[in-house]
Amino acid sequence: MIMRDEREIAMLRRQFDRLGMTVTAHDPAAVSPPPGEPVDVIVLDADSVPIKSDSRALWKVDAPIIALIGTETPSRLKWLLDLKPASFLIKPLRSAGLYTALVVALDCAQRRLDEAAHLERLEDRIRSRRVVFAAVLQMMRGHDLSEADAFSLIRQTAMRHRTTIEQLSAEIVAAGGMPHRTSRTA
Amino acid sequence: MKKPSIPLGLVFSQSGPYAMMAGEMQKSALMAIDEINRSPEFDFGFAPCLRDPRGVVAAYHTACDDLIREERVDHIVGCYTSASRKQVIPIVERTERLLWHPARYEGFESSENVIYVGAAPNHTVVPLVRHMLDHISSDVFCIGSNYVWTWETNRVIREIVTSAGGRVLAERLLELGETAIDHIVREVIDRRPPVVFNTLVGESSYAFVRVLHEATTRAGLTIPMLSCSLCEPELKLIGSAASAGCITSSAYFESIAGAENRAFVARWKARHGADSNPSVDGQSTYVCVMLLARAIRRAGSADVAAVRRAAANHRYDSPQGPVWVDPDNNHCFLTPRLARVVPGCQFKIFWEADAPERPDPYLSRLDLAAVGTRLEKSNDAAAKRPTHLRLVK
Repeated sequence: MIMRDEREIAMLRRQFDRLGMTVTAHDPAAVSPPPGEPVDVIVLDADSVPIKSDSRALWKVDAPIIALIGTETPSRLKWLLDLKPASFLIKPLRSAGLYTALVVALDCAQRRLDEAAHLERLEDRIRSRRVVFAAVLQMMRGHDLSEADAFSLIRQTAMRHRTTIEQLSAEIVAAGGMPHRTSRTA
Repeated sequence: MKKPSIPLGLVFSQSGPYAMMAGEMQKSALMAIDEINRSPEFDFGFAPCLRDPRGVVAAYHTACDDLIREERVDHIVGCYTSASRKQVIPIVERTERLLWHPARYEGFESSENVIYVGAAPNHTVVPLVRHMLDHISSDVFCIGSNYVWTWETNRVIREIVTSAGGRVLAERLLELGETAIDHIVREVIDRRPPVVFNTLVGESSYAFVRVLHEATTRAGLTIPMLSCSLCEPELKLIGSAASAGCITSSAYFESIAGAENRAFVARWKARHGADSNPSVDGQSTYVCVMLLARAIRRAGSADVAAVRRAAANHRYDSPQGPVWVDPDNNHCFLTPRLARVVPGCQFKIFWEADAPERPDPYLSRLDLAAVGTRLEKSNDAAAKRPTHLRLVK
């Protein structure tokens, strides 16, 4: 909890206790993220941090952030958006609402992780397109195949060896032809 | 000498779909108020201010607003459904009053301005599902009313049953008050599930239990039924033969053996007639008023903050046994019990917790691994399933 108001801290602490979570409170004036154990979620009182500060530099952490919002000015909200909050709570705080904010924040964080992993896989594929293209060319030349047949051969071989087209293509380019494998598993 | 009177708001619907239970609750509140008003142990009395929202959700807001402004009450005892409680919470929070809530509910709430005297889900559904897994089956057919209590109870059942390698065979929902249940009874007879979990309320439940009993008798089947809500007055409406055998989880049954309960039942029958029976929600409403009176006596004032502090951890030996408010979440320590309906519309208790159990409205202390012990032997339904299925999500 990166918050200043003692009453709000006490209220959220009670609610977190009910949910079986452990909490630590940190001073918003601290310039760097709180050291220590990694946390699952951060509650940040947006009003307690000067708007001039660079929000992303301030709290460069992977944990999802639940923003507590009191001031709804566009300048504050703009600052908040840079922080990419996973969910939020509008002040004044009540005992109801935190559980929902928490569930949404954790779900949002999980989706972001899944999406980042998915994106990385796609980028890997794009990066290896040049290699696949080179392997197809090699097969076309070496075995006098059409482009479609050459690709089909690489795909089927990759499937048989239980590897990816990209991985096999890299091996073809490195070996100057279809590598000889004794094992069926990559 | 006349004692000073503290105004106490009572908000129970005397008509509408759940008027029967709310009527029992109002009767019980008035009984507790009379006892306090006559008791020399309290140097104050309560002046009940009755409001009847007639089962209309929006009317609860108006009723409580009126009680707070016009009658100047600090404390309100009332609400049966979660929908009505959610209407009242914003008012009691804004005006810093206390709602004393008698009914069991599905959890996932903890207002500073509500004292939850009814059972939390760890008191009701969890012990019942544990019993089902240990002694009946890990495959269950669920039928309930289409509202929040059933939705959340079914989710808990599914979570526990799935982690134990069992299956929810079906989840059938009926609109509140719906009594056309033949198609579901037919499905139960056709599929012959090892157990039926009933979270229907009111007339829907009575009709279902009756029609299913007729159908199973005709088909020569025995299908155990589980419930978290059936109580003695409802068994009478269902009928002795049809309700017999049903297994119910509750913090209160009329058949609890303790001296406090025997005396309570005797006072109840003296007041309401020998044929009348107290119920879990009625008894809980009685406990609400008693907890409030004790807290006011201890605080020396009806002031909300002082009463809340005085109620915390203050043990009351109630008809259902020792009860006290857990200040961590404003819910109550209660003793969970399981009972089987016996002929004559009574419950025979066959299990109760060793001690009052800490309330866990968010089920944050639910240990699925500990609950999910499976049936190992002597049950065909379980034996047929290979054990590795436990790993299947």
